[in-house]
Amino acid sequence: MWKFILRRILGMIPQLFVLSILVFMMAKAMPGDALTGRQMDPKADPERIAEQRVQMGLNDPVHVQYIRWIKNIAHGDWGVSYTHKTRVTEVIGDRIWNTVYLAFGTLLITYLLAIPLGIISGRWNDSWMDKAITGYNYLGYATPVFIFALLMLFLFSFTFALFPAGGSVDPYIEPGTFSYVLNKINHLVLPVMSGALVATVTTVQYLKNEIIDTKTRDFIRTARSKGIPDSKVYSGHILRNAFLPIAAFLGYEITGLVGGSVFIESIYSYPGIGQLFVTSVMLRDFSVVTALVMMTSFATLLGTLLSDIILSAVDPRIRIE
Amino acid sequence: MRLKRYSKVWSALAISAILLSACSNDASSTKKPHTTRKMAEQMDTKEFSHKTNNDQPDVADGSLTYGLVSNTPFEGILNKAFYEGEPDNKVISIFDEGLLGTDENFIYDQSGAATYGMSEDKKTITIKIKENVNWHNGDPVTATDLLYAYEVIGSPQYKGARYYTPMDTVVGMDKYHAGKAKKISGIKVVDDKTISISFKEANPSLLTGLWTAPLPKKYLAGVPIGKMDAAYQIRKKPIGFGPYKVKKIVQGESVEYERNNDYWKGRPKLKSIILKVINPQIATASLKKGDIDFADITADQYEQAVSLTNIEVLGGIDLAYDYIGFKLGHWDAKKGENVMDNPKFRDKRLRQAMAYAIDTKLVGEKLYKGLRFPANTVLPPSFPKYYAGDVKGYSMDQNKAERLLDEAGYIDTDNDGLREDLNGKQFTIHFAAMSGSDTLEPLIQYYIQQWREVGLDVQMLEGRLHEFNSFYNRIEKDDKQIDMYAAAWGTGSDPDQSGLWVKKAMFNYTRWVNEKSDRLLKAGISLEAFDETYRKEIYKLWQAHISEEVPLIPTFFRYHLLGVNGRVKGVTLYGGEVADWYHVSVTEEQPVK
Repeated sequence: MWKFILRRILGMIPQLFVLSILVFMMAKAMPGDALTGRQMDPKADPERIAEQRVQMGLNDPVHVQYIRWIKNIAHGDWGVSYTHKTRVTEVIGDRIWNTVYLAFGTLLITYLLAIPLGIISGRWNDSWMDKAITGYNYLGYATPVFIFALLMLFLFSFTFALFPAGGSVDPYIEPGTFSYVLNKINHLVLPVMSGALVATVTTVQYLKNEIIDTKTRDFIRTARSKGIPDSKVYSGHILRNAFLPIAAFLGYEITGLVGGSVFIESIYSYPGIGQLFVTSVMLRDFSVVTALVMMTSFATLLGTLLSDIILSAVDPRIRIE
Repeated sequence: MRLKRYSKVWSALAISAILLSACSNDASSTKKPHTTRKMAEQMDTKEFSHKTNNDQPDVADGSLTYGLVSNTPFEGILNKAFYEGEPDNKVISIFDEGLLGTDENFIYDQSGAATYGMSEDKKTITIKIKENVNWHNGDPVTATDLLYAYEVIGSPQYKGARYYTPMDTVVGMDKYHAGKAKKISGIKVVDDKTISISFKEANPSLLTGLWTAPLPKKYLAGVPIGKMDAAYQIRKKPIGFGPYKVKKIVQGESVEYERNNDYWKGRPKLKSIILKVINPQIATASLKKGDIDFADITADQYEQAVSLTNIEVLGGIDLAYDYIGFKLGHWDAKKGENVMDNPKFRDKRLRQAMAYAIDTKLVGEKLYKGLRFPANTVLPPSFPKYYAGDVKGYSMDQNKAERLLDEAGYIDTDNDGLREDLNGKQFTIHFAAMSGSDTLEPLIQYYIQQWREVGLDVQMLEGRLHEFNSFYNRIEKDDKQIDMYAAAWGTGSDPDQSGLWVKKAMFNYTRWVNEKSDRLLKAGISLEAFDETYRKEIYKLWQAHISEEVPLIPTFFRYHLLGVNGRVKGVTLYGGEVADWYHVSVTEEQPVK
């Protein structure tokens, strides 16, 4: 097992390296740079802008810029954000926790909802409960998340005034206190629910299909014919098998933890990574863009690894020794 | 100085528009019958009040919530010398100000925290800071602090964007900026509260463009200039000498301000102000609910907003205009000048015809719901003194357009309904426009259709709209594929537009070189132009000249609207922004719902 993990981790190094070249070249291929927008200010002095391009090394050949960039990263230096005028690590650090809370909350609610709904729907398929759940599923599939988020906002914030309309915390609350935590959770409810209620339908559908599929297998028929009670058949045989692909998905979901959600973050004015990414691309803030892409890519690789580890842990058949 | 930086605003707009175009519900389907708006001739700020009407008695120790409408968090570079984005500027304007006050033409007067006098030759300005002007930490604001601002911005280590005219024309500044001198010889600290600054040339633009925001030297002690924009004293605990102090910042999303009891004008009326970033989509709904007392209103929420009974809609005209530019030449980077060598639009009758062919009035009414209105010139009416309201501009007259085209020799020789060029060859015009809002595509298609009606074959460049950065990249590099383009300029608060028009200006994107225009612009910033009647006359002549030559077609001026809760009192807008937070108060404890 350890050998397998180690081998996978070593395999990630060349992957990341190739990725870094691709990411850097593609970022540089975007038309314009961080100073393009600035030139819109009629007061800006073209000479001064040229001076700054030299200062920032934007005029160097791309490979020189790449080598400088990768060297700095090796030293843990991700560079300075042009827009935010501060270290990239600080810019990301300011927002990453917001995104982690949001993604973790969404993940939690998604699974809390999806698992019981999926089981009900799969175990008693074609019952009225299953029909209701399937109805919800179709609705969920058909609803774009940004429409749904707006709807939630208007219902629960504006109409019923139950939750705040945006932000991650109220400014007048002292950090570190219990009410601060409550305030943060209060701000999280709507964004999390908007994400989770839509995201959950995929998992519900998946779980349901798996259960129905497993139900008809030979070994289940054998178990039933041996007289094992229905509830035991489900807990001992069917669910165990049906959960396999769900467990594998969990690893991939980790990517979302750091990737953020552009729509949800934007609608709820929730300062997170997704929003930062879009803004940085628009403003050509290269150092932030490249750092974020590298970060999410790394998370994806890690997520895949985690999925494989989970799978091999729960499914002895594919364990690699 | 309230120079607006449109660059980042535009990028932010572009971002918001991308999200909006994905999200916005179809506002037109719920449209109410539309009232016709008044047009350019009579158009001034009278259409919308720029002052709140509330005259109820104030509530003592009130508090209000300011909605900073933006799709992105503010960046948090909270200093006038360093900020880049417009959201940051809004955060700053509540707790800091420049030393000199301005009138409604953005010209410095004696109403601010300092008074000033000019020398006989108009080359030296002496600023005297009032005795009771203190930083939020209690230190007095001194002449040294203002000198320090010049030393920081002029320094070779300075990375921000504020090193420009007139600062770079201070005597001795070039040497200091090049690192050859330790001191700026033209700036003298007379005493603790008095400073004199000498310039190489007399320039009336000094009275709008002079840098007057001091930096707290003592407070920033020990911070190297190159690292100032990342410093704790700028980002986490910024100070100023404005009516409110920053109490707490939640990075990127909100700021809590408290009253500055030591403010030089006296004790401000509000106990606290909360500033919150609000997504444009929900701004109007938040105003309705009373969640926020203040918010910008965008064109697509306008109709919703005017129907609200608990808010007052204030408006001003932005310091900006939209335009359609003709590419007339290229930028010679070596010589640093524009060369007008593109023959396509050389004949001004062709340019005039194109201006006559389009109906900006209709577009303003229908597409922009009256929030943009036809521009007759290239200085917006937000400069009451210099705006040439009597310049006629181009209102739609397609017969005249056709006549001009016939005269110029663009005739349809093969009877396909489209005019050929002077040699009888196919004449196609490639028109570039930016993507960014729902309105742009129909707008551009509409223009193209109208040009076709007078027989001109205009095609959208590569058949699509172009993303902001790539669009400006190509305009700037004088891409040969682009014959004509639609864009916008922020004018800044200085009526002098040399930076956009003269032969030596890189931002003169049309590459139009015209001796008369250069001469007039030069006269506008000469010693004589300190005489206001003279300067006014010069800018009127200049605007009339531009209108006659049409190197670009000015299309729209823009209204900037602000929704303010009914309990708010004392708001006055200058160029669409709150002029003075000191006068703002509330007349009820809770927002009107």
